[in-house]
This record gives sequence, C-alpha cells and structure tokens, in this order.
Amino acid sequence: MSRTILELKHVSKHFKLTGIRNRGKTVQAMDDVSFSLAQGESLALVGESGSGKTTTASVIARIYERTSGEILLDGKPIRPFRNRAEALEYKKRVQMVFQDPFASLNPTHTIRAIMERPFLIHGLAKDHTELERKLVESLEQVGLSPAPEYLRRFPHELSGGQRQRVNIARTFAVEPMIVLADEPTSMLDVSIRLGIMNMMLDLKEKKGVSYLYITHDLAGARYMSSRIAVMYAGMIMEIGPTDEVIGNAIHPYVQLLKASAPAPEQERSHSNLQAKGEIPSLVSPPSGCRFRTRCPFAKQACAAEIPALRDIGGGHLVRCIRA
Amino acid sequence: MAEQPLLRIEHLNAGYATKAGFVRAVDDVSFSLAKGEFLGIAGESGCGKSTLAYTIMRLLRDNAKIESGNIFFDGVDLAGLDDAAMNAYRWTRMAMVFQSAMNALNPVLSIEDQLVDAVLAHKNVPKSQAREMAVQMLELVDINADRIKSFPHQLSGGMRQRVMIAMALLLRPDLLIMDEPTTALDVVVQRSILQKIQELRLKFGFSVIFITHDLSLLVEISDSLAIMYAGKLCEYGPSRALYAGPRHPYTRALMDSFPALTGPQKRMTGIAGQAPGLINPPPGCRFAPRCSEAEARCSQDVPHLVWTENGRACACVHCAQGITPNAPTPRHARGSK
Repeated sequence: MSRTILELKHVSKHFKLTGIRNRGKTVQAMDDVSFSLAQGESLALVGESGSGKTTTASVIARIYERTSGEILLDGKPIRPFRNRAEALEYKKRVQMVFQDPFASLNPTHTIRAIMERPFLIHGLAKDHTELERKLVESLEQVGLSPAPEYLRRFPHELSGGQRQRVNIARTFAVEPMIVLADEPTSMLDVSIRLGIMNMMLDLKEKKGVSYLYITHDLAGARYMSSRIAVMYAGMIMEIGPTDEVIGNAIHPYVQLLKASAPAPEQERSHSNLQAKGEIPSLVSPPSGCRFRTRCPFAKQACAAEIPALRDIGGGHLVRCIRA
Repeated sequence: MAEQPLLRIEHLNAGYATKAGFVRAVDDVSFSLAKGEFLGIAGESGCGKSTLAYTIMRLLRDNAKIESGNIFFDGVDLAGLDDAAMNAYRWTRMAMVFQSAMNALNPVLSIEDQLVDAVLAHKNVPKSQAREMAVQMLELVDINADRIKSFPHQLSGGMRQRVMIAMALLLRPDLLIMDEPTTALDVVVQRSILQKIQELRLKFGFSVIFITHDLSLLVEISDSLAIMYAGKLCEYGPSRALYAGPRHPYTRALMDSFPALTGPQKRMTGIAGQAPGLINPPPGCRFAPRCSEAEARCSQDVPHLVWTENGRACACVHCAQGITPNAPTPRHARGSK
C-alpha cells in the first residue's frame, strides 16, 4: 500500500443559520467524517443531493474551514493559514474540479487568460516561452488540440465537454497531489461523459495523483474508483473496496441505493426494498442513526445513539447496529 | 393485433426557423403506440426527442412548425387540427409532465389552486368537484391531502414532480408524455416515482411516452424503445430484444457509454466526437462521422428505417442485409401505405 497523503479524523462542518427565527441553529452538513486517501488512489464519495458530499470536498479544499476534527495532509495536521504563501502552497497541492462547466469559467475571459492564471499565481513559468509551452501542453493532454486555436476562444464558444476539459487542464496545471472532482460529468451529455472519465483515469495513471471522485451514480463510482464511501445526511454510512461495497453491501441505505439504480439486465420490480421518504432535515436530524426514519429494518435501539463506523474486516466499515 | 393503435406517427417533419436556417429537429419520424403501451425514447441532447414530444402535444413555440407528416391520435390527424380543436385533446386526452418540475409549477399559487385550475380549464365542472378530483389524485401519488394548501417551495423536488404527475393525470388522459421527468432527482426518489407511474398505468391503462437520455433506465421500464439521433429515428423495437441485440451502431455505442453496476470491470469506449448540427446535417447517414463501422457509401446514401420481423426497425446500411423480401409485414408498418 502506498503512503497515505490525506487523512480525515472525525471532521464535522456545521453551518450557522441566520435570522431571528433560526438564531442558534446549525445545519449539520458534515458530521464525524473519517477516511484516508493513499497516493495514486481514487476514492468515490457517493450519496444523494444534500448528503454532504460537496461540503466534504469544500472542507478539504478549505473553501470552508471545518467546525471540528482533524485533517492531515501528507502526515501534517492542517491549521489556519498564517499568510498568503501558506494558502497558495495548500491550494497548489489540493485542487478541485467543479460540477458546472458553464459556471466555473469566467465568460468574459479567453481560455488563454483562464489557463494562464494558475501558472502566474503560483509562479510556475520562468518566462514567456515556458509559459507558452506549458499552456499548449496542458490543453493537449486533455485532448484539446490544436491548443493555440482553443487558447484564442471564449468559454461560450466551447461545448460543455470541452469546457470541462479546460477545467481539468486548469486543475492539473499546478501538478496537484489531490484532485477533488465534484460530479465532473453530471452536467454533460451521455456520449461525452465517458470520454471525460477515461481522460481522468489516464491522467491519474500518468501523474500519480489521488482522486476524491464525487458522484451520485454508483455505477460511475465503480468505474472510476478502487474504494467507495457512501454518505447519507452528512455521515459516512459505509466505506470499503469498490467490489465489497457494491457486491456485499451491508448498510440498508447502500442496499436501497443499489436496488434503485437502473438494472436493465434484471426483470422488473426485482426488489422488495421500498424507496420511501426523503433525506431528513440536517438542522434537527433524527436522534441516533440518521437513516432510521427511512430504514425498513429500524428498531427502537436505532434511535438511542449514533452507531459507530465499525470495521467488518478487509477495510470495509459500516455504520449500522446490525453490522 | 387487430386493435387500432392509440397513436400513429407517419413521416413527421418538424423544426425551428432560426436566423442561421431551418433546424429540422424531427426528420421523417414514423412509429405507432398501442393502447397501454410504454414507449421509451432515448438519445443525447439535441437529438430531437423533446421536439417530438412537443410536436405531438402541438405545444411548439412560435418559430417552430410541422412541415409535413401526420400524427394520428385515435384516428384523428392532430397535425391538421386548429388550436380550438386541439384544445379538446390537450390535457383531457393527452397530457405531459415537463422536465423541470421546479420551473413548471407557479411559485405564487398553492398546489390546490394550480390543480383546480387545470381541471376547470378543460372541464366544465363545479369548483368543489374540481377540488375533490385534485385531492383524490394527490392521494394517488402519495401526497397527503393536508399538503394541498402548500406552495411549491414548501415541497421537496420529488414531491413537486409527483404533483406534476397528479396534474397530468387529473382528467384521466389516454396518453401521458413524460419529458425527462426524473433527470433532476436522486436515484432513490427516481425509483419511487417510476414505481408510482407503473402502478398508476396498470390502474388506469394509459399509454406512456417516456423521454430520457438514460437508456439503461428505459430498458427496465418500457415495452418498446425508440433510439433517436440527430432528428432521426435510428432504431426501434421491443425493449428486451433491442437491449439484448442492438443492431444500429449508435445504439451499441450508446449502450457502451454507461458504466455497469455488475459484471466485469472493463474500460469502455463511449462515442467519439459530437452530434452534428441540424441546419446542415452531414450527407448520408448522420451518424457516419462518429461511427466505427462506417464505409464510403455511408456518407452518401441516407439509410431509411427498415422494418423487420417482430416489430423491429433499424436505419443503417448494415442492418438492411439479410432481410428476406417476403418477410411478414411488421405490426407497426401495417396500416401505413
């Protein structure tokens, strides 16, 4: 096993609500999240909207600072940035790809202006010729060639898939250790998605980066990652090797997710698991297990306390009292 | 077999007039839909699947028009009806669930007002009866009657989509057209909505045209499948048979675009390139520039949809081989000359 480059220990993020009626209330968007990421590894974070996937990535990218818990990058605990240099150093190592390729590129800038920024901000090019060479290299490795042609264009002149390629090129420009990919293909057309996914897999091989790949699609997670963590209502419910989590799902929520995914190979209504109810409020989450309000197996003990994330062997951990 | 289909579309051409030219988003499309049948239409964005739905409902925007072709609904050609006559069909005989329930509901009116409005606009009944119908329908989609005074923002995405379904089914239409009804929803909520639609379909016996880009979802829920590419129907057939043995290279490529949850882990190829523009589509087969099996003739001859045994059809020069000239007339071709 290669070395661990990112570790989260019981990390939580609670957002304070404002306004007279909500004074003192918080949204517990991310609670007691622990996992580690090895060098060159891809971990998928799966869950429905509102499950805390994006919050987790944002806390790791330090767009938000965590409320409690500890994050270790390359073995060293992170602490508040003391100056801009520290912030830049962190952001050079941890990069994020955003979901919406239409919103994440400034529409008034050319691709050249957008792509130059990481090199200029982080001082990665000595002179003009080196900058030019790196710009061309960056775009060509994401399949945008001839690069000079793309550098001239504006974001609106590119398709969604091409824009997402620019986003990925920008992310890789600073040679990060960790790429946090927040549903990078969910807003793209079906025929474009696989091209982006394959390109990301190739880049990972070539650069040896680690991915935290966020998605709501279990099959996509399987394609992209060797390990999967499933989140529900701000908490990790099950985490482990991809084949274990998909082939041998223990948590009732993960079983429900599996049963809900389209299964063209199977006959209709193959599951007796009922998909009822919706994700609970994170301002006042249910006591005990957060899934118990929808769980077909819930019993009284589930309301008593939050179950611990328990290791059932082989790096497969489950947060359920039945496990 | 002898029964007349509910909907029969013949050589339909429709599109939009734009500054750059005419965009023919539906190009020579023909198929038919039996009573109670569930038809899935799949294809990527811009392939014309939504335009087809809007054309059937005759809800096209001002710059759009039906150029030619027929839409026979229960024997009447909707393409030739004027607006007043068409209104007798809309919502009472055929209804639609739009893609984004968030935007399709009026944010300043309660659910009750909107449902009652839908009844009163199409049916001459007292308001109290309209309200009664609204309550009944909401309960059928598992929304408690006490939520009827709610405004759209007070409901979750899944509940809003269920309200849209309730609204579409209020007047018990024969045909329900659903344009990507679950795209913005999570898999678990999507599953519960699909279960609900199937349950209601068995109860009321309406036909469904379900449009989505998610082919694997369609295979599971629909009776027949139509695959569209660049405005044209490229393959049609019973869902299971089509999934088990896709014939058009585009269908095969589309299937190879979705990672699977089971089976061996393998690298997939997807489809290279982009769908063509529809103002000046490529000559010959429109998929030829992206097709791995294309030959020289593919960029010259336009392949026509050829009907074969068991109600299957395919528009590709490669599918046309091996069909005996005296093959039995397929079910869907019968009745059209």
